[in-house]
Amino acid sequence: MRLFAIVRREYVERVRSKAFLIGTLLGPLFMTAFTVVPSALMATQRGKPLRIAVLDAAGGLGAPVEHALRERRVLGEPRFVVEAAAVGTTDAARTALRAAVLDGRLDGYLYLPPDALARSESEYYGRTVSNVMDLGLMSQAVEDALIAVRLTGAGVPEDRLSGLLRRLDLRTIRLSDTGEREDKGGSFLLSMILLIALYSTVAMWGGALMNGVIEEKTNRVVEVMVSSVSPVQLFAGKLLGVGAVGLTQFLVWVSCVVALSFFGAHAASASGLKLPELQPVVLVLFVVFFLLGYFLYGALYAAVGAAVNSQQEAQSLVFPVLMPLIVGFMFFPMVLSSPDSTLSTVLSLVPFWTPLLMFLRVSALMPPAWQVAASILLTLATIVLFNWGAARIYRVGILMYGKRPTLPEILRWVGRA
Amino acid sequence: MTDVAIRLEGVTKGYSGHSAVSGLSLSVPRASVFGLLGPNGAGKTTTLRMVMNVLAPDSGTIEILGRPADGAARDRIGYMPEERGLYPRMILEDALLFFAEMKGTSRHEARRRLPGWMERVGLDDKWRRRRLNELSKGMQQKAQFIATVLHEPEILILDEPMSGLDPVAADVMRLVLLELRREGRTVVLSSHQMETVEKLCDSMALIDRGEKLLDGSVSDVKRRFGSNCLAIAFDGDGAFFGALPGVERVTDHGQFAELRLAPGADPQQILRLVTERVRVRRFEIVEPSLHAIFVEQVTRPGGATA
Repeated sequence: MRLFAIVRREYVERVRSKAFLIGTLLGPLFMTAFTVVPSALMATQRGKPLRIAVLDAAGGLGAPVEHALRERRVLGEPRFVVEAAAVGTTDAARTALRAAVLDGRLDGYLYLPPDALARSESEYYGRTVSNVMDLGLMSQAVEDALIAVRLTGAGVPEDRLSGLLRRLDLRTIRLSDTGEREDKGGSFLLSMILLIALYSTVAMWGGALMNGVIEEKTNRVVEVMVSSVSPVQLFAGKLLGVGAVGLTQFLVWVSCVVALSFFGAHAASASGLKLPELQPVVLVLFVVFFLLGYFLYGALYAAVGAAVNSQQEAQSLVFPVLMPLIVGFMFFPMVLSSPDSTLSTVLSLVPFWTPLLMFLRVSALMPPAWQVAASILLTLATIVLFNWGAARIYRVGILMYGKRPTLPEILRWVGRA
Repeated sequence: MTDVAIRLEGVTKGYSGHSAVSGLSLSVPRASVFGLLGPNGAGKTTTLRMVMNVLAPDSGTIEILGRPADGAARDRIGYMPEERGLYPRMILEDALLFFAEMKGTSRHEARRRLPGWMERVGLDDKWRRRRLNELSKGMQQKAQFIATVLHEPEILILDEPMSGLDPVAADVMRLVLLELRREGRTVVLSSHQMETVEKLCDSMALIDRGEKLLDGSVSDVKRRFGSNCLAIAFDGDGAFFGALPGVERVTDHGQFAELRLAPGADPQQILRLVTERVRVRRFEIVEPSLHAIFVEQVTRPGGATA
């Protein structure tokens, strides 16, 4: 009964707060903004076209290459402005171009060596060489021009060139038990949004739990509380109460996603856009892995909260708690690109990383059921162990004031009678 | 039904090396006000925490109303720690009902009792649905007190209940405590304010360095120290009092001094010597005040603040 009262207070007070309302409503908005907007920006905003020059040391390649470059367009805009190359010997021209690039008259220049045609090689000199998309486009243009020259040399009529040089349009279709569905990177984006949602909610509600523990300690409420209920009851009540708040927020979000994919699907199919599919089992596991993550990391956060006197003091101790979560998050590109590799499998079975990485695998390519079950069981066992230890640390820590204990001291509390 | 509310028998508690309480035996009579005195670090809070089952004693036994001090026993106690604490962002009523629930009182019952208690401590009903951090410090103290008594415990343990109260609030607190005693409840309070204890408490114990120095009813304790004190109200500089023949100890308040006499000292001779140096407004042979006893006991050789 008292445990229920603690859970209810924790739940009611938090759910009624403005912060919860704002976080729940604006959370998805920010989440989308943080993931979709940068990639959308990257796709649309390319900056000014590149001013480049072509230095043809092979002879006869300059004109076709320049033409090919001028033809490259992104969103209808030419991507390259081709300036006339300097005249004179190759060495003199290179010196002149080099100077032009360095003082900013050009963004870069393309050098076609004497054996460019035979070896299919060229070099680009520029102040920036990290603009991967532009360089890819440039490489394509030069390659097309070289192939065209070779084909013409082999006697192919010019009017047939464009037909022969047609590029491949590779469509990606995701195959699953429920059917086929064209995917233009949407499932990658969706996996990423869900992963970020998992990561940030586990960190956020773990942090909220820790701050709640610290607050009770600094307000000295905890002393009244433990004179009424056992520290373990209080610990469990707070863990469950904050967890219930997190779950509420999560369920609100999931219902939003369901509603969106239901209504959005109509709107999207009308406009010819295909939304990535979300299987119900993925959504269920999304909630399950959130709970696993919360109870795993929440235990550690609560233990830190009990050991310190203020939120400032918590900063340095929170880092070792947050570290595994961050490391797990950083594995995501690797796991996403090969979700069924041995390494991905092993990483996703490590309890610290299961909540993030096993879910990522689930969302990308459903792993064998036994792996999902094993990861959940392993994590549950770790949760039991961690919460047992955290409750013991909590029991000692909440009545400790004064100097902040060191990590070894805190760990010793686990063994204290 | 026993007439002892709380009994400690040889209770010892140590923290990594040093002992906070050693071999402490106490008994608090029912339906009385009991003062637990001692300097800072004497072990008062540790003792109270053990009674509340927050800490477990290393050895010794604690009985509450004739039964071992366990989880069930502490539901019959209301505990107000020295450092006050409520949830600052909670609404007063919600917080108080919650604390009553923590003691096993139903929300319904607690809600029924709340208005009566608010009136009793002088907390206007308009504050009932306000957040605690909107209340003044004095009102928060009152709220804290209600949180301690709302489950209507048979025993109240109050750590420094008067500290931080203005004289009016302190009067209200004193009256409520006396009422509670009349209702047959037991009040245990720890305090540094000797005057409070002297006037309010029926019995007391003085502890220092985790050991009991003396205990008993307040009048017994004072009598035990005999009528060997002089209370002098005076105008002038009383710096010479300590050098007078037969004076063992002086508590000089500036215009009032308490002189503890050695056995066989002659009060008449001291009066003569004193009147030569300062203007005496009052001169009285009295029992020592608790203040004097407290200071004398804890500053004995080997005492905490010597």
